[in-house]
Amino acid sequence: MSRPEAPDVRTLASYIPVTAGPWLSEADQVFDAETVFDYIDGAGEVYRSYNMRSLVARRFHKDGRPDIVVDAFDMGSSADAFGVFTHDLDGEDAAIGQGSAYKAGLLSFWKDRYFLSVYAEEETAETKALVLDLGRRIAAAVPGSGPKPGLLALLPADGLEAGRVRFFHTQAVLNYHFFVADTNVLQLDQTTDAVLAGYGGSRLLVAAYGGPEAAARARASFAGAYMPEAGDPAAVRTENGKWTAVRSAAEIVAVVFDALSEREARDRLDAVFALLEKRALRPGR
Amino acid sequence: MTRKPITRRDFLKVASAAPLAGALLPRLSAAPAAAADKVRVVLVRDPSPLGTGGAPPAEVVQRMLDDAVKALLGETDVVKAWKSLIRPDDVVGIKTNVWRYIPTTAEVEQAIKRRVMDAGVAESDIGIDDRGVLRHPVFQKATALVNARPMRTHHWSGVGSLIKNYIMFTPQPSAWHGDTCADLAAIWDLPAVKGKTRLNVLVMFTPLFHSVGPHNYAKDYVWEYKGLVVSRDPVAADAIGLRIIEAKRKEHFGDDRPLPMTPHHIALAETRHHLGVADPARIELVKLGWAEGILV
Repeated sequence: MSRPEAPDVRTLASYIPVTAGPWLSEADQVFDAETVFDYIDGAGEVYRSYNMRSLVARRFHKDGRPDIVVDAFDMGSSADAFGVFTHDLDGEDAAIGQGSAYKAGLLSFWKDRYFLSVYAEEETAETKALVLDLGRRIAAAVPGSGPKPGLLALLPADGLEAGRVRFFHTQAVLNYHFFVADTNVLQLDQTTDAVLAGYGGSRLLVAAYGGPEAAARARASFAGAYMPEAGDPAAVRTENGKWTAVRSAAEIVAVVFDALSEREARDRLDAVFALLEKRALRPGR
Repeated sequence: MTRKPITRRDFLKVASAAPLAGALLPRLSAAPAAAADKVRVVLVRDPSPLGTGGAPPAEVVQRMLDDAVKALLGETDVVKAWKSLIRPDDVVGIKTNVWRYIPTTAEVEQAIKRRVMDAGVAESDIGIDDRGVLRHPVFQKATALVNARPMRTHHWSGVGSLIKNYIMFTPQPSAWHGDTCADLAAIWDLPAVKGKTRLNVLVMFTPLFHSVGPHNYAKDYVWEYKGLVVSRDPVAADAIGLRIIEAKRKEHFGDDRPLPMTPHHIALAETRHHLGVADPARIELVKLGWAEGILV
């Protein structure tokens, strides 16, 4: 059920055009983190895991043509807007907002603390053009821009696949991108920040906890469950012949999965913690 | 004592590593179960063109459902078969699913309703609903339920399943989303539904095999399978539906791409909640009708 509009919601709604070519908009629907399930079913959990504040949904209709739906999310922070954008990176860069992807009628992008989805229920040349035009107009209407999560600064640049960086908080989203375990062995929750990045065939996970003790506990939990045979520092050759290694310092835990050699795994962890030493980290919120 | 977690390494140990989701299903039994010990699931398909609502013509749907129910129960007369499921004095709720892009369809709802009436139930004692079941007067006094919904991939539970279809019988559905919906089967123990389900119909006319975007939906990831999966056991029907979805993903993507969110609520419905059978070795799959592209 939609709720009455709060001032922030009216601001968000004002960024969305009223018309899209000959398509006319219907009445807005407004949801918060509790009511989002009324609109997008259990998929609302993805947005809740990124601390969504509100959602304005506006449907554009023209008889005989596919509907176009704009879903505008206020995520509360640019870090979480970026994060929820990285949940699904499938598609081509449409050069809209601070990062975008377009595929098969679906445009997603983020700007400042907002995540936008513009979706044509059927892709045609006409609806594709309208979707992209709507996206550009919304991006232009959002006045500011916001920083990416500070945690990304701990990703070594050497070998980083920039288009495969995911930012998130919870174990469920980690498993969505890269299955680690069926229980929360890394002790991730809504208060932790985590980034998962690709380096060729290997993955690097960097997570920021509430403090050094929490990080040490998470490291021990992960090592005990995932690589109990490893010593300290913990590195192990896993059953696919590749290497996994974990290390923690300060509030950070870093894990390398599927490195081709122990040396590669240790070098990448060295690089993470060298970056940590260089800068006073501000967890990205 | 807490159990040992299942980690990525456990899957790496299995050289033939099936999709992660599939690997979470119970292992095949050491010895094949005898047919009499198995749970029967009927898959019926028809190649007729689909209408704009995504269903075959009503008469085709009726025939598909009738054939499936007869095969499921070993009856030659469809009304007699339904009379073994539903009593004339039953109050029957048909739990449907109204998801905008792929609903249960009116054709399936009406085919079920017709046979419930043939079993002797007054029309006033039959309700069809999804999100309003807790407020619906027929569902509030229902003595029997028929569970009918489409299978599709889902951003949080892996797949939208027959098991999951009863989440609307809870006042706060999101309370069941923990651990990516692991314990959905526990809903089936709630008083509103416990012991009432007489038949499960998993609609697979146009299943969704991959989810994208906030709405989980893209036309590119739907295909015309034109099937119904029917069973008295919701877990067994879901397990068959999941196999079809996984097979389609393999066909489309060209690899054993696991569902991003593991649909472990199906396996756990057997191993943790004992609602039904997910183990393929204990499922007797009866296939009727159109065989092309059947995938299982």
